[in-house]
Amino acid sequence: MSAELRLMISTTPMVEPDDRQLVQTIRGGDTDAFETLVRRKTSKVYALCYRIIGNSEDAKDISQLVFLKLWENLEKYDPQFAFDTWLYRMVTNVAIDFMRNKQSRENAVNSNLRLVKTSAEAEQGVVVQRKEIESVFNDIANVLSPKQKTIFVMNQMEDLPSAEIAKILGCRESTVRNHLFNARKLMQAQLAKRYPEYAQLWREK
Amino acid sequence: MISCDSFRKRFHANTADPALLEHLRACDRCLDHAASVDPDVLFRALGGDDLVPPGGLDAFVGDVMQQVRVHEAQTKLESRNVVRWPRRLAVAATLAAAISGALLFSRGTASVPETKIPIAEARALAPVPAAKLTTKPIVESYESENATIVEVPTEASDDVKIVMIFDENLPADL
Repeated sequence: MSAELRLMISTTPMVEPDDRQLVQTIRGGDTDAFETLVRRKTSKVYALCYRIIGNSEDAKDISQLVFLKLWENLEKYDPQFAFDTWLYRMVTNVAIDFMRNKQSRENAVNSNLRLVKTSAEAEQGVVVQRKEIESVFNDIANVLSPKQKTIFVMNQMEDLPSAEIAKILGCRESTVRNHLFNARKLMQAQLAKRYPEYAQLWREK
Repeated sequence: MISCDSFRKRFHANTADPALLEHLRACDRCLDHAASVDPDVLFRALGGDDLVPPGGLDAFVGDVMQQVRVHEAQTKLESRNVVRWPRRLAVAATLAAAISGALLFSRGTASVPETKIPIAEARALAPVPAAKLTTKPIVESYESENATIVEVPTEASDDVKIVMIFDENLPADL
């Protein structure tokens, strides 16, 4: 019995297919392979959407839309290029479109919201906490254009170099650097205006 | 993950060291220190970690796959409609041709221009049905010594002339 069991156990380790192999399988009509790809990429796609959009429910909807578009357009993927670059391009396109529509809806309504922070708290000194920074970022990043915000998020939070961001957005690296520079300037000004307690931290170097 | 001491020793402005960034994003105290050295890291603290959508990964993937299946079903349905389309078009074209032909024909027969004709003239022009002809159209010659012919006088030259013949020997079908 034990000999039979040994025969049944495979000696070669299971190797997970990489993204390109998965795409090839999906193109053959395998929806299970697509499910594997969705499972593999969800956290990255959702994280990027969430950081660009700043709202978990919208980010979830946009992430789902991205995967649906991925399914529809998988034939267009050229395996010569990195799959993540192509996927991120899709994410940024959908997220930027969403942000543009959202901005045009909200501009008239919500132009000067400020997070509640009393002067007493500010005097106590800055206790930097991630949750608080997230709220501050979501608040002041509204001054950025959707493209500026996307580039800022990809560079500062996703740690993507400007060359990679240029590939994703289909623009020149110098354009990405310009957007980053302008985004920083705008956010510094906004921080000084609305969160002076943080502005002393984030000053011109 | 590296220790707080190691982080503080190694950290410098514009760092892209993944180990340092990992620590930065996990430790609030070190972020405070790092922000005092390089204010630009303030928002870098937000990134790095992968996030899970609300409701969990399984629910999210399930939703996506359901949408994919719906999309696939719609695509198949649309492709079937595309195949049937030429056949439907042919049937519709045939029907349209038949209907328009019938309409043209009926209009052609009814499209004689209407002209106002006086009632008397219209009556004269109107064709007399053959069934109503009770007399023979050809006048036959007839000779008789006993016949009496009465001609009703007319006022105008185009009035119908009425002639009455009285004869005992006259055949009935004359």
